[in-house]
Amino acid sequence: MAREINVGPASAVPEGESLVVPKETTGTKDHIAVVHAEDGEFYAIDDTCSHQDYALSEGFVEGACIECPLHGASFDLRTGEALTLPATTPVGTHVVEVRDGDLWLTVQDDA
Amino acid sequence: MTDAARPGSVLVVGGGVAGFAAVRELRRRGFEGELTLVDPQGLPYDRPPLFKEFLTGDADAHRLLLAPPPWFAEHRVALVARRAERLELDDDGAARPRVVLDDGAVLTADAVVLAPGGRPRPLAVPGGDHPDVAVLRTRADAERIAARVHFGTRVTVIGGGFTGAEVASAAREALAEVTLVSATAAPALTAVGPALAARLHVMHAERGVDVLEGLVTRIDHDDTEAPHRVHVRRLDGSEASVVADLVVAAVGIAPDTALAEAAGLEVDGGILVDAAGRTSHRAVYAAGDAVRRRGTEGTSPPAARHWEPALHSGQDVAAAILGEEVPARGTPWFWSDRHGVHVEGAGSMLPVPGGRIVDRAVRGTVVAGFALDADGRMTGAAAVDDPTAVKAARRIIDRGIVVDPARLADPDVPVRALLRG
Repeated sequence: MAREINVGPASAVPEGESLVVPKETTGTKDHIAVVHAEDGEFYAIDDTCSHQDYALSEGFVEGACIECPLHGASFDLRTGEALTLPATTPVGTHVVEVRDGDLWLTVQDDA
Repeated sequence: MTDAARPGSVLVVGGGVAGFAAVRELRRRGFEGELTLVDPQGLPYDRPPLFKEFLTGDADAHRLLLAPPPWFAEHRVALVARRAERLELDDDGAARPRVVLDDGAVLTADAVVLAPGGRPRPLAVPGGDHPDVAVLRTRADAERIAARVHFGTRVTVIGGGFTGAEVASAAREALAEVTLVSATAAPALTAVGPALAARLHVMHAERGVDVLEGLVTRIDHDDTEAPHRVHVRRLDGSEASVVADLVVAAVGIAPDTALAEAAGLEVDGGILVDAAGRTSHRAVYAAGDAVRRRGTEGTSPPAARHWEPALHSGQDVAAAILGEEVPARGTPWFWSDRHGVHVEGAGSMLPVPGGRIVDRAVRGTVVAGFALDADGRMTGAAAVDDPTAVKAARRIIDRGIVVDPARLADPDVPVRALLRG
């Protein structure tokens, strides 16, 4: 079942920064990182790198990609695709929209 | 370059990160031709975990794979689990290169990529060639060592560099009795700088590893009470010896140039290549630990034999083969995990003339170091348990940003904040 969560004002997340929405809030398997990319858009991805346990939200945003701080694996924020090794599998993506200045995250209940 | 100049087929020798990166990048860039990867070990796997979690049993073989098994069929990559015995080239380049396999089969392709990697350097002392003197490079090596390292095993690791430090740490974690023989009291000095090198070295003793600073002079093997006795001459000239059930030699790697040399390619401390991985033969490229860039003669390759440079060199070769622009690569970066800490570095921590080192400490413990040149531009960085700081520092280095040394030394200022100037 899909539901929408208001995760706060978009202005609170400057370009190149991320906001982590804990899984306790989202009801998903992983925390979700809402990322303000350098293309100006907001994207939402699962926060844990598919290579090793590390928070992607702490990584560097380059264009519409995010680089895991641990081993430099890069993911496409739009699709979740693993662009560089050592990651080989994608991370999950979610829908996030800006409405009236607020970030609305759409999550599917995993449970 | 015209399409006609793009090769119709590419054969890659070596399934480490460089060889696999070349294959993956060729397909990522839309190469549609025949693609073959030759490696006697079969499915390409990643090596860094072999020195770390794989040794302690915390990662299984499947976790090592650089791509899930179906990836190869999905991307029309033929995996040939054979050893390449010979590369045959025509001087005039009229015929396609031929790779002869250990079963006698001959493969040809328009372009060949050599990514054979490195071989562990042998321990050149009497007794250093005994089968119980293990080296660690392949998954099979790691499996052999892991099977013997457990509670109470007496393990002597020779070499205090990254490999030696990681193996000593993993063996200690497996509750072995570990001795580390290091030629210096501060290994990895140019990679992490003096303060972190000292801190990391002391960490061995803190975690219960016996550290001997000196050089191994010989290893005796035939005592029944003591399976192996490693003799060490300490730095102060005194002699010591240590009894071991297993000896691991981690004294560096040498580029595997055998195939290239026999084929008549130019080799000098590595297969000689240009910035795009072209060898002295127009149809042969090379990548990874086996290569050396032309123009770096006489210099040591400090950062060249780490994981990321190997990855990039494989990707760059793919671009070059397709006649596409080879991307500029930033400051080299590496990581190492030992004794529960994550170490990273970028650039060189050997200060340039007129430069200096700025250390960042938290309550008296150095957590990061930065090398600055005379103008205050960063030339190197290293940190313990702060990967974001090093990723930020790397960008500071690449962009030539002048940083305030006082803020750099202040642990309350994220290095990332300095990136914004």
